[in-house]
Amino acid sequence: MTWLTPTIAIIAGAIAVPTLLVLYFLKLRRRDLEVSTTLLWKKSIQDLQANAPFQKLRRNILLLLQLLALAAALTALAQPQIQSDAERGTRHIILIDRSASMSARDGDPEIAPSASAARTRLEEAKRQALELVESLREPSFFDAAAGHRSGDEAMVIAFDTVGEVLQNFTSSKADLRRAIESIQPSDAPSAIASVFKLAKAYVPRGVVENLGFVSFGEPAVIHVFSDGRLPDAGQAEAAPEDKVLFHAIGRPDTPNIAITALRADRAFDNPRALSIFVGVQSTDTQPREVDAELSIDGRAVAVRAITLPAAHYRTGAEASPETGEAQAVRTLEPGAGGVVFQLDRPEAGIAAVRLRPTQGGTDRLDALAVDDLAYVVIPPARRLTVAVVTRGNLFLRECLEGLNLSRLRVIDPAVFQQTVEGKPVSAAGGPMTLGDFDVIILDRTLPEVETRDAAGAVTKGPGLPPGRLLVLGAVPPPPVGLIDEGPGEAALMVDWSRDNPALKYAGLADLVIAKSRKVSVVPGSPVTVLASDQNGPAIVEAADGITRALIVPFDPGESDWPLKPGFVLFLASSLSYLADDGASAVGRLVQPGQTLAERLPIGATNVRIAPPQRDAPVQDLFPAADGRIAYGPLRSVGIYTISWTGPAGSQDIVLNDEGGSARVRRAVAVNLLDPAESIINAADTLPLASAIVEAQQREQGRATRNLWPWLLVGALAIIMLEWFVYNRKVHV
Amino acid sequence: MLRTPSITRPKSIEDLLEPDLVARLGQLDVASRKIFSGKLKGERRSKKRGESVEFADHRPYVVGDDLRHIDWNLFGRLDRLFLKLFLEEEDLSLHIVLDCSGSEDTGEPNKFLFMQKLATALAYIGLVNLNRVALTAIGAAEGGIVSTVRDLRGRRRLQDVVRWICTLEPGGTARFTEGAKRIAITRRGKGVMVLLSDMFFKEGYETGLRLLVGHGYDLFAIQILSPQEVDPPIGGDLRLKDIEDGDTAELTISAPLLKAYKANLNAYVQRLHNFCAQRDIVHLMVKSDAPIDVLVLDYLRRRGLLK
Repeated sequence: MTWLTPTIAIIAGAIAVPTLLVLYFLKLRRRDLEVSTTLLWKKSIQDLQANAPFQKLRRNILLLLQLLALAAALTALAQPQIQSDAERGTRHIILIDRSASMSARDGDPEIAPSASAARTRLEEAKRQALELVESLREPSFFDAAAGHRSGDEAMVIAFDTVGEVLQNFTSSKADLRRAIESIQPSDAPSAIASVFKLAKAYVPRGVVENLGFVSFGEPAVIHVFSDGRLPDAGQAEAAPEDKVLFHAIGRPDTPNIAITALRADRAFDNPRALSIFVGVQSTDTQPREVDAELSIDGRAVAVRAITLPAAHYRTGAEASPETGEAQAVRTLEPGAGGVVFQLDRPEAGIAAVRLRPTQGGTDRLDALAVDDLAYVVIPPARRLTVAVVTRGNLFLRECLEGLNLSRLRVIDPAVFQQTVEGKPVSAAGGPMTLGDFDVIILDRTLPEVETRDAAGAVTKGPGLPPGRLLVLGAVPPPPVGLIDEGPGEAALMVDWSRDNPALKYAGLADLVIAKSRKVSVVPGSPVTVLASDQNGPAIVEAADGITRALIVPFDPGESDWPLKPGFVLFLASSLSYLADDGASAVGRLVQPGQTLAERLPIGATNVRIAPPQRDAPVQDLFPAADGRIAYGPLRSVGIYTISWTGPAGSQDIVLNDEGGSARVRRAVAVNLLDPAESIINAADTLPLASAIVEAQQREQGRATRNLWPWLLVGALAIIMLEWFVYNRKVHV
Repeated sequence: MLRTPSITRPKSIEDLLEPDLVARLGQLDVASRKIFSGKLKGERRSKKRGESVEFADHRPYVVGDDLRHIDWNLFGRLDRLFLKLFLEEEDLSLHIVLDCSGSEDTGEPNKFLFMQKLATALAYIGLVNLNRVALTAIGAAEGGIVSTVRDLRGRRRLQDVVRWICTLEPGGTARFTEGAKRIAITRRGKGVMVLLSDMFFKEGYETGLRLLVGHGYDLFAIQILSPQEVDPPIGGDLRLKDIEDGDTAELTISAPLLKAYKANLNAYVQRLHNFCAQRDIVHLMVKSDAPIDVLVLDYLRRRGLLK
């Protein structure tokens, strides 16, 4: 038994017990009463004393009962707890890690990790969880009939980056077994903080003022079945009354070799030249040599040997969440290596890099297979056709000529106006239509276009023609545009979307605009602000069904932007951003566990996505108005193929189906590529925000039971007994 | 049982007897189970031949008889002297003994006040029926007798009775045996004696009762208890103090104690009853909350004290 607050109880007892005694003796001062005769009373007392040997005790029974009640209350104040083996009527929350590292085949510690027959960690976790379920206490028949909860209840949550409740609280072991057995491994990294929140949400709780959330009923026991590779465990916080039991799965010394980075790039000046970068890490404490095999579209292309240095442990200090004291922490520094494949390949394709043991090695590289293989979608070598509508802009022209474009055509605004109106134009470069160009740059000019307002009246005025447009130094009016509020003073960029591919390398940080332009966005219009200066939006993206435009309202010539390399990079990246129909997942890192968000060309219909598994069902998707689709969370690594009918993006592959209808395909590679998840050395502690939980030594945890409620109930019962005795004494 | 919080002593007949009760009491008379000879000729039929108008018998004249009682008509017829004998009507002695000890001055209603009212009612009945009424108060005084009045007859003496009753103040320990002895020595004639007391005498009631009974007196022992003595409404830790001698008893009231007290009281009353029954004493137990009119008009008539 442990006492949480013995000091308070001792102090309270030192005050309360003498007080009670004093009160009792004060109370015992007898009341004087004159009676006609004491004759009969004395005789009665003699009679009673003669036949009641416990009369003395009876006189003090009230004091005794009061002392007993006080003792019970004081003991309750000390908050005693006992550990009981029988976790009677406990709520168990079973959290099973199904992340990528749980697929490592070292689950059964009896079998050497190299043996291919070894169980995965997930299988071992499921086995232990099933054992736990078997050990749960069954509800008694009468309680079940009365609808009371007397047996143990458990809920099952499987988690990788997100948690999924497979079974809500139930005492049915069959349901729990079914839920646990249904858990399938996932290739996603793991995150536990949100899972704790999810688990908490299912425990009935209420808000108590000044205390925050408190759970009603008995506290839950949270069982974590995991290898402990939980990078965000420090943010996971269990309720203080809940008990967290960590069932460590796997071996702490399992080495793993993993691909942690993969990227396919084409040379800027020579799109045919393809470079594929592969980053590899090893957690083996011995130096390792592995082969990296590159295959494109299923055919092996090249094999390179990679030598990986030994991983080593680094000792550092970290503050303990419980005591705040610094404690030594050993972190594993994996050995890192890499290889670059150089290819001459203009076509698109899907490259796969697989790590293999070197010749003569065993057939299995390591315990975890999912990170030994990674895919990358190679974009086709393609150059853009760009038109510049300008009255002459030296900077722009020089910059664009420096880009590796397929064709650059400079058009006079008057000629462009005719093109917009659909009139045949004979110009220096030959006849042209708007569709001839991937991107059109409008430099300080806007063509006259016909717009139809809500009433159906057609008006003509400056506006954006259909197509993909980069607008510099002009403000197209709404709806696909901005409200022009006139010129502004000098301005600096204050905020911009650093993740946007168009602005990534634009160098906006030290950009000085001499003459800014005040604009504002119509709420509800299809305009997204990408960058802002002091006056408001400075770079926006506008898109409706037929037009997609990046709009720079101020004139770059009135700033120092053209003098900086960022301007060239902005032009290059915004051209490819516009031409690529937005953020394409091609070449982007998509991890399992994430949601796949893609932007398809506008007008794509009949969209389907095929997961990498051959037997997995193809799912239909319905794109939003701007062409976005979302799918996920992604469970496994591999190539997900999105196909649709309709227009194709610049890097999409158009195939003719058997039916003759053209289907456009886009491949998205999903790779783990997570250095943290690829360190599969099982941890023996779980450093939660509230406490560091040591791994269970393969035994059932013992529940902590608070005794103070029972003591208070006892005190109440004694007080009621005292009341009864007092009344019996006084009245007839 | 408890001391009466504030007691107003009676000052006049109105405090002791209600007028309508007085009217009804006039119809009653004191009854004696025996017909006793009295000292004066009264309204009571005596076994003695006397001077009433009711003829009883003749007897021959002997020398020394009162010539006024000779039946001259018979002498004329028979020429012999006969005396006419009449049933003599004689008075009855009604002796009311009040216990003036401190223990009487308790209870709600007050026992002593009750006793005063009852004594007045009985004395009134005795007076209007031309009985010889005597009243004696037994108390803590030397010799056991606090005060006494005797030889009262006729309705006019009621004022004397009331005045005497109103002067009584209860207090001290009654010397019952001593007082009974004095009464037994000094009382005259024969009649009815009514003892009003709670009969709580620490020295014992046996000797006193034994002295009072006999000598031609028909003894009625009326034991007056307050309702609080019969059913004590007390609780808690108490120090009980005897109102007469200051003796204390410390006790904590509990249900078993109350039960034992009641059993003891019952046994005490029963033992007294048995004692009285063996000695031809009529024992009556009345509670001080009993209505005087019901008690006098109904209860005492049924028990033979009144007719």
